[in-house]
Amino acid sequence: MIHQICSRPISSAASRREFLYGLGATLGSVAMTDMLAKDTAPSLLQSPLSPQPPLNKARAKNVIMLFMEGGPAHMDTFDPKPKLQELHKSESKLGGSLHTGFKFFVGSPFTFSKVGQSGIEMCDEFQYLRDPEIVDELCNYRGCQAESLNHPEALFHMNTGSRLGADPALGAWATYGLGSSNQNLPGYVVMTENALPQGGSRNWSNGFLPAYFQGTALRSSGSPILDLDSQSYKSRAHQRAALDALGYLNQQHAQQHPEHADLLGRIESYELAHRMQMEVPDVVEIDDEPEYMKEMYGLNQKETADFGRQCLLARRLVEKGTRFVQIFSGGWDSHDYLERGHGSRIKSVDRPMAALIKDLKQRGMLEDTLVVWTGEFGRTPDNNKRGGVYSIGRGHNSNAMSMMMAGGGVKPGAIVGGTDELGAEAVDVKHPIRDFHVTLLHLLGLDDNKLTYFHAGRYKQLSQFGGKVIKELIA
Amino acid sequence: MNTNLIRLITSLALSPAVLAEFSESDRHFTLKVLPLINEKCIACHGDPSQDLKGGLDMSTREKLLHGGDNFTDVLVPGDAEKSFLMTTIKWIDPEWEMPPKENDRLNEKQIAHFEQWINDGAPWPDESVQEEIFLAERKREVTEDGVLITTSGGLADTWTYRRYQPEDVWAFRPLDHSIKPSPEAAHPIDSFVDDKLAAAGVEQAPSADLATLLRRASFGLTGLPPSPEETKEFLQAAEANPEQAWNDLVDRLLNSPQYGERWAQHWLDIARYADTGGMSNDYERSNAWRYRDYVIRSFNEDKPYDQFIVEQIAGDELADQSLRARISDPEEYQKARAEGHYTPEEAELLIASGFLRMGPWDPAMVKAPEARQMYLDDVINSVGQTFLSTTMRCFKCHDHKFDPLPAKDYYRFYAAFAGTQLAERKAAFLPEEKQTGFEEGKALVERLLAFANDKKNAILEKQEEAAKEWYRENGTEYVGLNERKDLPDDIKPPRHVGLDHIEQGRLKVREQDAWIWNRRLERYQPMVQSVYNGQDLEYLNARKLRMKEQKKPDWRPDNSILTGGSLEAPGDPVTPGVLSPLGLPAATGDEEDPFQLPEELEGRRLTLAKWIAHPGNALSARSIVNRVWQYHFGKPIAGTPNNFGVKGAKPTHPELLDWLAADFVSNGWQLKRLHRLIMSSATYRQASQHPEFKELANQDPNNDLLAHFPIRRLTAEEIRDGMLKITGELNYEQGGLPARPEINMEVALQPRMIQFSLAPAYLPSPTPEERNRRSIYGYRVRGMADPFLETFNQPNPNDSCAVRDSASVSPQAFTLMNSDLMTDRSIAFAMRLEKEATSHGEKVNRAFELTLGRQATADETEMMARYIRDMEEYHQSSTPENREYPTEITRTLIEEFSGQPFQYKEILPAFENYQPDTQAAEVGPETRALADFCLVLFNSNEFVHLY
Repeated sequence: MIHQICSRPISSAASRREFLYGLGATLGSVAMTDMLAKDTAPSLLQSPLSPQPPLNKARAKNVIMLFMEGGPAHMDTFDPKPKLQELHKSESKLGGSLHTGFKFFVGSPFTFSKVGQSGIEMCDEFQYLRDPEIVDELCNYRGCQAESLNHPEALFHMNTGSRLGADPALGAWATYGLGSSNQNLPGYVVMTENALPQGGSRNWSNGFLPAYFQGTALRSSGSPILDLDSQSYKSRAHQRAALDALGYLNQQHAQQHPEHADLLGRIESYELAHRMQMEVPDVVEIDDEPEYMKEMYGLNQKETADFGRQCLLARRLVEKGTRFVQIFSGGWDSHDYLERGHGSRIKSVDRPMAALIKDLKQRGMLEDTLVVWTGEFGRTPDNNKRGGVYSIGRGHNSNAMSMMMAGGGVKPGAIVGGTDELGAEAVDVKHPIRDFHVTLLHLLGLDDNKLTYFHAGRYKQLSQFGGKVIKELIA
Repeated sequence: MNTNLIRLITSLALSPAVLAEFSESDRHFTLKVLPLINEKCIACHGDPSQDLKGGLDMSTREKLLHGGDNFTDVLVPGDAEKSFLMTTIKWIDPEWEMPPKENDRLNEKQIAHFEQWINDGAPWPDESVQEEIFLAERKREVTEDGVLITTSGGLADTWTYRRYQPEDVWAFRPLDHSIKPSPEAAHPIDSFVDDKLAAAGVEQAPSADLATLLRRASFGLTGLPPSPEETKEFLQAAEANPEQAWNDLVDRLLNSPQYGERWAQHWLDIARYADTGGMSNDYERSNAWRYRDYVIRSFNEDKPYDQFIVEQIAGDELADQSLRARISDPEEYQKARAEGHYTPEEAELLIASGFLRMGPWDPAMVKAPEARQMYLDDVINSVGQTFLSTTMRCFKCHDHKFDPLPAKDYYRFYAAFAGTQLAERKAAFLPEEKQTGFEEGKALVERLLAFANDKKNAILEKQEEAAKEWYRENGTEYVGLNERKDLPDDIKPPRHVGLDHIEQGRLKVREQDAWIWNRRLERYQPMVQSVYNGQDLEYLNARKLRMKEQKKPDWRPDNSILTGGSLEAPGDPVTPGVLSPLGLPAATGDEEDPFQLPEELEGRRLTLAKWIAHPGNALSARSIVNRVWQYHFGKPIAGTPNNFGVKGAKPTHPELLDWLAADFVSNGWQLKRLHRLIMSSATYRQASQHPEFKELANQDPNNDLLAHFPIRRLTAEEIRDGMLKITGELNYEQGGLPARPEINMEVALQPRMIQFSLAPAYLPSPTPEERNRRSIYGYRVRGMADPFLETFNQPNPNDSCAVRDSASVSPQAFTLMNSDLMTDRSIAFAMRLEKEATSHGEKVNRAFELTLGRQATADETEMMARYIRDMEEYHQSSTPENREYPTEITRTLIEEFSGQPFQYKEILPAFENYQPDTQAAEVGPETRALADFCLVLFNSNEFVHLY
């Protein structure tokens, strides 16, 4: 049964990657655990998350994705549109969005500068990102188009390649293809702001991939991972005793069922959990970071403390071997009061994000780590009246947006692609989200057309039906 | 040209003399190689509307010989080895793998076709010869390349006349009623399984022991473990008459209400049941539980499966048919329909149509035609996967790449649903529908609604005070909020006048809350998540879906083949119809179009449903029989239960599958009969352990021979429900409003975004009895999974789940060792043991009986008793604290107006009179120590696996 759908033969332990690339499974993990068990007996089961060499030459080993939920306005961040200033509050006849009725153009409340050697553009609210040490590492991509006009569909699309909220997330595909280099930490970590984004955990789901590849939410308060810690009245020693008692029962049982390799896998998962319980708090506990580091990430200021801590954790996680980290930062849905809204959001991410890039660079990690700053779509050059009033904000725009990237093999100090004079639509190096996904996998040394999993009648891939590498983004 | 002449020409083309005119190599190229070039290469290498990739054009021999930008030796006639084409299609060089997608990659046979063609000198006959070869070939039904399958026709002739390997299209073939088990076999199922074992030279595993069988049957049929009393009773009965005891046991389990609960869970996995609609707003579908209970009732009543099919696809049409028969006056009928004056039988049918409302859907910010398309694509894919094991999405944008399913059939099927509109419809509660908890629930919702309204009104009052002040200052007369909306800016106060950004944010939250709770009052109204037939609406909003008056009774949807699946690219028009490759006509078909469904909106779905439920529909029968088999054995006969297509897994026992399906259909589609049949076989009753497991691991690693019973991990619901039964906490009450079990409090209170606001907190039911019901009754929110169940692979309800995942991941260990839920279960279990046993040894043994259905060994008893004693010592000084249940919570939300966080208070009235489960702090050190042992036992491999 397996061989019939396997596009590459499975023969030995060495071909596990081929198994990962070609097989998928008709029975999901059933076939998978069987295969793994067979490949690795009699030693301990090889974890499905153990590191795998990439299929092609990799530019990036890890990804840190800063997800600005709500949709940042490209014309108020990295893609200035002076024309809108001229047209401010004059009537707009642009189509494209769902709003009907009177619409008017909205000029950006912010001023802009060209910064660094490369002349990357950014609004003057970004005070730290323009640091000469890092600004020429940035790569601004202006050509992406999102296709969906509402938050969860667009979030699902950007995070999973499909608008329906049932497919594996980027991080799940990445860990499926590459594993993770530290087995005592989750390979794919997600941090959210206060509230979960629309669509919730479906945004970091393993979808039809086995559960090993699900994103693990690292919580900002309480236990960092749900139920990571034992009940407060139970000590570490108590817990060890419980594991030993369990070990005894499972050993007794395994002797009666030598035929069932999955029993070993389950025993191992308890030991792994135990190790994770030790290691995760070490990563999360940032007291050992020097004061200047905390200051650099903005941990000492109220506006930046949360996002700063998450960015610092992202660096610590990647340093210790986590493959894919995503940080969600909400509040970008500025239909109104754009200046206040975007102004304070920019303030909350500017310093931590700059610190992250700088920190990675200083540690020599930036070349291996792709940092991506993006929303789920961009915003419109115009707006509707709200409550009968000229509300200075913007609607959802699926035709244009702005991404900022650094490291991991993207072209440093570059502006790639462009939008029209008003920022209504991408016109240059224009690509749908799927091409961005294909490019991201490409940078990781993975080929979207080969990184497949058999599900619901066909080999599924992140891009759904294939896409193109955006060559202009690659250094 | 007249038709006679055409016939003459085609018959000439058939004559052997003409066949012989074509050289073998020309035929090989035309029939084997050219279709591959067209399908796999031309899009990038010769489509005039696209840029040539690498400068290579493969549309003619000359152009191919010319080569591309990088290579001139692409084709070297007569020498495949030197032809770079072969290097690319063999995927030898990672830089040059063609076609580049895994999905399009050539198989070995296809590669050999190219090789042979090149070595033959790469002939390329001109188009007229190609045409003649094609025409001659089409007249041959079976060739060495496979069989033709007649369908309603593809977008291109090459698709229509392509050939299939008969074993690949097994599922589309009629059931073979001639298959019979060997007359000597003791059991028909064993006959087929033994044949295959014998051919492989493998012996079947011996019978499983009685206790194992009892546990297997109990979990398998009811999702619950047997109690020690049930175990004792069964073992005694089996001593007297094993066969009788087994049959009685199966009957008892099938007749228990828990059977329907367990098997409905399987069905809801496929149907994607949830109590909310998902996406942006995650609106509650407040009456979805009526469909859940319908499914449970159907299984318990052993409703014939063909009837079950028809009711779910067209129950609303059946209900209205029946209503119309009772009330002939059209106006009276419309009135009765709108007011929901249905008999209980009719209401049941309406509830059944809830199947068509199970998918996630929200048209917010989506243009209405696109939102309609999203619904229709989703619903027909669901009908296809669920009932026909056919993934419909695969032939939406083009003819199916592998299966004999043309895009035309997709859009004919689509047209059958094109008049299906979504609505909450009225129908009185059935006598068997529990209304327990309505009063308390309603009081809670009303209180939350009043709170939201009070808060909202207070802010609005402040705003309007400021507005009045503004009017006074401007010397004009006050105009109310609604009245001034459309007035020019300069004669009215600014928006949100008098409110700072915090109050603005709070106002929005309270407004959202007010309508959320207002809407949830629908929980207590006799409404059904259903559908009706009618015209498309201009405006869609999932917040409120009601039946609309038919302004244009003659309205018919326009349906066409949508090229590439795009609404913007309509192709040939289609009429509603069924899938053609089965060759099974629809009841309304005629000679010209046997697959035609009614043109009238009313009756399209019913006729389709009856076609699906027709005894001659082999897909339907094989589909359900395969699923039932899978749920018993943990592995299906045909490996991909939602997809029987060419790329799905082939059946391991095709004859068994067909025999079971034929037997099922000819005996009235009775599921309980099928269970009895399967469970009475030796194949079902064999041990999970095979004496020669080491050899088998190599010979048959996937257990395709069924030489032993497959082991499986319990599902999430089996683990939770099983524990509740073991601890004695399980409340067996059936049906009704969703139960709200206690879930991890961090998740319950975790804020999550919905459109414009945060979703209200999850509020568990206040008493243990209400909370500790079976998991199938738990409230399912698409935007927030129950963390315990999700960790144990409860599927995402956005996708149909045919086979549960059971990967062992470390979060399972965290949950099962550390969670509050497990602490509560283990303390409840310890308290039960203390009541039922005295010494440590007795308690250990009783725990083993309850949990594992067996006695503890002497060694186990000693080790566990020692563990308990050690823990007693530990807990002398342990200091557990009571869990806290806050009655209100402060929420923080980042407001779009300011981009800054603001806070507001949310009340949690459920925790005001909350009765928690007994907590660790409330019991003594001995009980805590005993609970530690219980926890370990619940974590053991033996408990969470089924043998």
